[in-house]
Amino acid sequence: MRNIIISNNPLVAEKYENVFFVDGSVEETLVKVRDLVYEGHELVSHPLAASLRVLFSPYRSVIVANQCEQLNFDHAEIIEGSICKYKKHMDVRKADEANSDDYKTVDLLLLQSALNDEKGKW
Amino acid sequence: MKLEIGRIFIKDIQLGSETSVKSGVLTVDESGLIAKLKEDERIKDVKIDVARPGEKVRIIPVKDVIEPRVKIEGGLNGFPGVTAKPAQCGEGRTQVLYGAAVVTVGDIVGFQEGVIDMWGEGAKWTPFSQTYNLTVDINVIDGIDPHTHEEIVRIAGLRAAEFIGQAGKDVTPDEVLTFEIGSVFEETAKYPNLPKVLYAEMMITQGLLHDTYIYGVNAQTILPAVLHPNEELDSAVISGNCVAACDKITTYQHQNNSVILDLYAEHGKEINFMGCIMAPEHTTLAGKFRVSDYTVKLAKLLGADAVVVSEEGYGNPDSDLLMICKKCEKAGIKTVLITDECAGRDGMSQPLADTAVEAVAVVSTGNVSHVITVEPAEKVIGKAESIAVLAGGWDGALAEDGTFQCELNAVIGSTSEIGFHNVTCRLY
Repeated sequence: MRNIIISNNPLVAEKYENVFFVDGSVEETLVKVRDLVYEGHELVSHPLAASLRVLFSPYRSVIVANQCEQLNFDHAEIIEGSICKYKKHMDVRKADEANSDDYKTVDLLLLQSALNDEKGKW
Repeated sequence: MKLEIGRIFIKDIQLGSETSVKSGVLTVDESGLIAKLKEDERIKDVKIDVARPGEKVRIIPVKDVIEPRVKIEGGLNGFPGVTAKPAQCGEGRTQVLYGAAVVTVGDIVGFQEGVIDMWGEGAKWTPFSQTYNLTVDINVIDGIDPHTHEEIVRIAGLRAAEFIGQAGKDVTPDEVLTFEIGSVFEETAKYPNLPKVLYAEMMITQGLLHDTYIYGVNAQTILPAVLHPNEELDSAVISGNCVAACDKITTYQHQNNSVILDLYAEHGKEINFMGCIMAPEHTTLAGKFRVSDYTVKLAKLLGADAVVVSEEGYGNPDSDLLMICKKCEKAGIKTVLITDECAGRDGMSQPLADTAVEAVAVVSTGNVSHVITVEPAEKVIGKAESIAVLAGGWDGALAEDGTFQCELNAVIGSTSEIGFHNVTCRLY
């Protein structure tokens, strides 16, 4: 397995085998990603979404490399910065739970799109 | 490449039984347009309405805004590669119903926001409160998956703009703008002492509700591509993005890209404007490295002295913006970045998700976290329930009289990162 998906989205856990499922919040998911980055796993996908509305999603999936290498400082900076940004936004907002099912679907589809980008690579 | 844009000034829109422009009044054949759109059998229902500047009307959730146009000379009418066969955009004469806009409405997912208020406080923040809007509300048949749903609404909007644009075919325009730039060699020979400037336009290209198309090609699948600026001004670039309401580039904004227009205005005076690099924004870090390397390579290959870079969206695209900046500056190419800020309600926080010491020339297009208070509308076009998405962000956001608070983030085009918007800075 070349990659691991870190996710708190049950749809992602159902669909893929290489998932580390976080039974918790987006913040806890990002913290798990951070721990793995410090252990030497590189980020494959960026931890943040491309729009604020999706940042309010209660679900997030991030891809990291399965292989454990030396700590990549650039990646550590990206995940730390992402956690800071995420907390900054959510401190003043409620998670949008009313549209949970749609957020699950969009998180899954955006993840699939990132995985397609990774196809055919070793 | 030479393009003439003939602007026909539109002062009102009426629904009627024919599609025409007379004395600046655009009449739209409502049943003809509905029949045209329902040729797509996946569309169950179409509702057409009009929203005029100053009316107490709220449009929500907006998917895209499109400028109605007709090609009368050179190329093919419509949107080549999407509603028409493939053809070269950017040459000949295009007539524009200037001041009119097609606004597509339709909730593809429940959390969509994207509001246009035509009056009051809300209207101040969106450029599309000043246009005469023909709204096209699309309902699809049951059993359609989200990707197909998005495609149906996107294409219906383009087809509506094409249908209405026909009204300008035989009308003498009020104003004709000419856009002409020759090859890189010709322009450099003409202006040997002017700095050679490229425009790198970043586009969200990350999957459902986050896509951009060039000549109908999903830009997620391309390497950065060089476009003549006229191609974008002539409808080659289409938005498939409908979540980043404040800073997504609608199709209308691509057709009237302010960065291109401003660079054109300085061409031959202050700068030698050499063209656009269309840079996709990927979710993967590998994609971000590939695109930033390739963008810098194209800039070097064309001998650029400077690159103006505009972002689309917020969050992971901040990394792309700064990667392009760092790599260009390292290669001796100066950069100017255009981005909005996510700087907290008081505007005091670090504005981007990433930083770089090389980013010393940055134009801000506004703070997306700024909170505004808007009154209840007399009429809602679209889905009134979507207002709950806007008003439900925090406790106390919704008052008993229906007045509510939302962030600029929810307002279409409020912090446009290509500068097509109302927010500005003044020196005191």
